[in-house]
Amino acid sequence: MSGSPLQEVTRSARVIVCVGAGGVGKTTVSAALALRTAVEGRSSLVLTIDPAKRLANSLGLEELGNTEARIPEAQLQAAGLTAQAPLHAMMLDMKQTWDELIARHAPADKRAAILESRFYKALSTRLAGSQEYIALEKLWQLRNQRDYATIVLDTPPTAHALDFLDAPNRVLDFLDNEAARWLLSPALAAGKVGLKLMNLGGSYVAKTLSRFTGTDTLAELATFMSAMSGMNEGFRERTQAVRELLADPHTSFVLVTIPAPERLDEVMHFHRLLLQNKMHVGAIVVNRVHPPVPPAAFEQARALPPGLREKAERTLEEAAVLAAQDAQGLAMIRQQCGNCPLIEIPRFELDVHDLRALWTTSEYLMGVRQLERAG
Amino acid sequence: MAAVLDKRLLLVSGKGGVGKSTVAAALALASARAGYKTLICEVNAQERISRLLGKPELGPEIALVDKNLWGVNVRPEEAMREYALMTLKFKTVYKAVFENRLVKYFLRFLPSVQELVLLGKILYHVQERDSSGGFRFDRVIVDAPATGHAVTFFSVPQVLVDTVPAGPLLVEAEKMRDLLIDPGTTTAVLVALPEEMPINETLELEQELRTKVRITTGAVVLNGHIPPRFSAEEQAAAAGQGEALNAMIHGHLTRERMSAEALQRLRTGQRAPVYTLPRLYVPDFGAASIDQLSAQLASLVSESA
Repeated sequence: MSGSPLQEVTRSARVIVCVGAGGVGKTTVSAALALRTAVEGRSSLVLTIDPAKRLANSLGLEELGNTEARIPEAQLQAAGLTAQAPLHAMMLDMKQTWDELIARHAPADKRAAILESRFYKALSTRLAGSQEYIALEKLWQLRNQRDYATIVLDTPPTAHALDFLDAPNRVLDFLDNEAARWLLSPALAAGKVGLKLMNLGGSYVAKTLSRFTGTDTLAELATFMSAMSGMNEGFRERTQAVRELLADPHTSFVLVTIPAPERLDEVMHFHRLLLQNKMHVGAIVVNRVHPPVPPAAFEQARALPPGLREKAERTLEEAAVLAAQDAQGLAMIRQQCGNCPLIEIPRFELDVHDLRALWTTSEYLMGVRQLERAG
Repeated sequence: MAAVLDKRLLLVSGKGGVGKSTVAAALALASARAGYKTLICEVNAQERISRLLGKPELGPEIALVDKNLWGVNVRPEEAMREYALMTLKFKTVYKAVFENRLVKYFLRFLPSVQELVLLGKILYHVQERDSSGGFRFDRVIVDAPATGHAVTFFSVPQVLVDTVPAGPLLVEAEKMRDLLIDPGTTTAVLVALPEEMPINETLELEQELRTKVRITTGAVVLNGHIPPRFSAEEQAAAAGQGEALNAMIHGHLTRERMSAEALQRLRTGQRAPVYTLPRLYVPDFGAASIDQLSAQLASLVSESA
């Protein structure tokens, strides 16, 4: 098989979104795709979340805040690479991006109150889906304001696939919940936020609830909701625009996973969800695959002196167990993902943390290199 | 000699994917086998513990899993209900208030309340007495949230103490905080793998738990450790046999080196003693593997002569 489907993706996609659970190597795959794109002549930006330090260093990200930086040509040349177009990288600062969003959309007189509220802190840092939301928000901004040929988004580690696709809705739900509106509207109209709180459900419910949380907490929530309420329309429009961008024919999703059986359900579920939402899946990348042990290695081990021979054989047998496990995991993914192309990347001996190793990774992604499997 | 983790509440955390649940399950099994009545708690998770132990799903009710070993999956909804019932005393009041649509909305978004009730349930079982007046459980082991969420989770009582006005919630939060940071009661167990990111996060977590939450880490476990196997002479001898074998041995040496480096960073980068669990090469990781690992962790939870 030559001609990985990702060749076409890196040639034509305007947005590539790498999704998957935490710790499977999404950042590496994202950076490798951006590197490949730039080397082959289309400018690219990799928007990453929390890269390992050495990878961040190799991309020149260590000093960066929430801004894009170009990878110096000298750095690429030192790794034996020549990029035909510029390669940029950026580390997304969630908190700062949220703050900027508020600064842009909130009425001036409400800004400080929002930023200081502990409900805002919960919304911007811990509410399920908020990291995903802000990553998509930044992607949308950059796609509309910059002219990179391709932007690669490395998404936050997601416990559940739904968190990612559902993130915009969840945030909207928080801000624009039926309950919140019911609670706030008469009070808003009267200019007295929190008034209705005190009368919530004829005060019995409110009294009991505030015994549980304290009255101030509820009043504070009402104040926060009312400060945010002016922004809801903007949020809704933006959410719609983000959805359109994700479903755009020039946007491609790359699902990253490892060949562990316990990840299988998750991958399949995510794959189904993407298809249901009419999103284009470029490939499933199975990372950290232990390759089969070449039979020659066993033959060579037999010639070793006793003692050393046992140690060598034990090493080979251990590797064979891992390879067999992975082969089984891969077979299960292949069986269930239908026509979606599968790309295997072997487990490297060291963490991928320099441009050269990223380039090697990209060769597997492009099908230039392939895992050797004895026939 | 007393056990290394001679405390009644063990909080097991680490980066996602490092084997946190594996270590929690192995510690719980070792503790139960040493004769301690042990409760293992999953926190709003996907029933990993029961699968690892080869038992039926735990669910939200405490269930006997093995001799001396009980398990529970602590989930926000049930914990909220139990906590509210404890505060409110009456079921009808609970129904009127906590099953109210609007109230459900508030409780979902009120920062910290979910975490508070989850922690509340765990701490309740730490103090729970049986009919004879002794503790119902000698030891409670928590498969806690991963790094990143752990500090937030365990800071919740303090955050509430700092922010809520006087009232039942404040009293409750203070009691919980005091128990959680009592060094005679609580200790953390952090799990890492011999890779860069898990080690970074472990070092950070040990420090943040110590300085921000005031919880001391009693042990760090390096999971998937690969001990040295080949001497320099052996390495050279094996290399002479051919490229295929050489590549495999070289791979092992690299992983040995990464593991040694990880061990070194853990030993010098934080204060708790470091223990290792070997990487297991088995086709199916399950109850038998947990059994094997629990034997290796026995000294952490049982007295030795």
